[in-house]
Amino acid sequence: MYDSIIDPTLGPAGDARGRTALAPRPGDLSGLRLGLLANTKRNAEDFVEEVAELLESQHGVKKVLVRKKPSIVNPAPPEMLEELRAECDVVVVGVGDCGSCSASAVADGLQLEEAGIPAVVIVSDAFRVSADAMATLQGTEGYQYVTTPHPVANLSRQGVRDRAAAAVPEIVALLSGPNAAAAS
Amino acid sequence: MTAAPQVDGRAGAADDPVRGVRGAIEYCYERGWSDGLPVVPATEADVAEFLATVDRDADEVIGAQSHLNRRVTVAQAAVNAIMAGCRPEYLPLVLAAWDAVKGEPASQGGAWQSTSGPAPLLVVNGPIRDRLGINYAGGVFGPGFRANATIGRALGLIVRNGYGIRPQELEQATQGVPGRWTLCIGENEELSPWEPFSVAGGVEAGVDAVSAMLIRDCEYIDNRHTESAEAVLWDIADTLARTGAYLGIKHSTGGVVLGPEHAQFLASAGYSRADVQQWLFEHATRSQADLVAAGKESHDEDPGPDPFPMMPSAAEIPVIVAGAANAAISTVFRPFGWSTWSGRSVPVPPVSDTATHTQEAPA
Repeated sequence: MYDSIIDPTLGPAGDARGRTALAPRPGDLSGLRLGLLANTKRNAEDFVEEVAELLESQHGVKKVLVRKKPSIVNPAPPEMLEELRAECDVVVVGVGDCGSCSASAVADGLQLEEAGIPAVVIVSDAFRVSADAMATLQGTEGYQYVTTPHPVANLSRQGVRDRAAAAVPEIVALLSGPNAAAAS
Repeated sequence: MTAAPQVDGRAGAADDPVRGVRGAIEYCYERGWSDGLPVVPATEADVAEFLATVDRDADEVIGAQSHLNRRVTVAQAAVNAIMAGCRPEYLPLVLAAWDAVKGEPASQGGAWQSTSGPAPLLVVNGPIRDRLGINYAGGVFGPGFRANATIGRALGLIVRNGYGIRPQELEQATQGVPGRWTLCIGENEELSPWEPFSVAGGVEAGVDAVSAMLIRDCEYIDNRHTESAEAVLWDIADTLARTGAYLGIKHSTGGVVLGPEHAQFLASAGYSRADVQQWLFEHATRSQADLVAAGKESHDEDPGPDPFPMMPSAAEIPVIVAGAANAAISTVFRPFGWSTWSGRSVPVPPVSDTATHTQEAPA
């Protein structure tokens, strides 16, 4: 009955995004080269650094590269992605703790997977919805990431350390083992 | 189309065009195309009528969110302008306003998805204000004026429908800003003692132009009884310098929409617009102790001067004149993030000659 009403959401076709297949998981993290991809939000870099320290001491990885994204809204630029791809075996991305950076952290995780690098994304739990929306937008509904309680920006260094410790088991599970939901 | 559920207002419209109207509006609501207020359903014929007002390719891409894989075209802007309640001859201004917002650095950094939920403030200069009925006098920020209400609203619908950025989804505004619905004002050039705001934006006086900023608040300054220009300026500077709006790390800026009475009062005391900016810059300061009290002090080796300037520079305090000359009231507004006004106004082209208006409102 209302067929003549124009759908205002129909724009030019975007690039078709198929489902991103996750990179093969290494099984054991020992001896692997770890990269960190942080955004500019307060405590983001400290958080992934604390995660790295625990992964080094508990799982025998070696941190080789730390990069901070120039933009909170866009995924890491191609040259940064290439650096991570060339020098790292696994990458930890975080922390998605704002409206746009939570979504872009998921986009980073997916572009790393597409480049063949197992990655894990850390998002604060207040931003699950935008992280999930980005995964769906990128064709990979159900993509799994690790959440940490919101907020992150007001934590002390010790607070960040505690949060990192709490997140590490799940980070290790997603980096080393099969990611059931997103591998399908 | 799949059959929509039957709702009131949807019954046969064959003999009475009004009878299906509510149903058509409900249809748009059900599809998530509305910002919460009713929209005007757009048809192909409507879009053609709107596009005839501009000399633009309907398929021209006018904005993109590459990280969201979304682009919007001139035609899509027209559809959303129709839905917002615009008249066809508003479209050139809607497109210019979109360009103005897009040109603001603040709109480049994830603003549409931000927890701060900023609203595009549009400021219109030139004869187009009277031609389209854009309010620049009494109640300039308020309701009651179709052009102001619908032109601002059109931008919000383009973001929602064109970019697919909706609240509680990709838009993560914590509280949002009331003006995100619509926030379009004319400058009261007639009662302003200074040159049009758009002149500072690089457009010649008398030429239709629109300027845009993404803002986070509007706060009034009510100062009616003083005989001192500096007392009025002090009051404005105090609001500009409040710690709640200071984000730390770097300066965020602030601007002021002076009511004509304040503007004329300041001008009669010898202040040019640049003098006002300079005075506000010099006096919108807070002590380091205040910053410490608010937990916003710098942790750098050099925490900066004491008192600490809360505005980045004099030039980055936009000063606009709007409203009625019936009380000494002004408004401070606050651009989003650490950005400032780009200093660039966008000229509005005249309505294209090919435009014909087949749907004039009945007399």
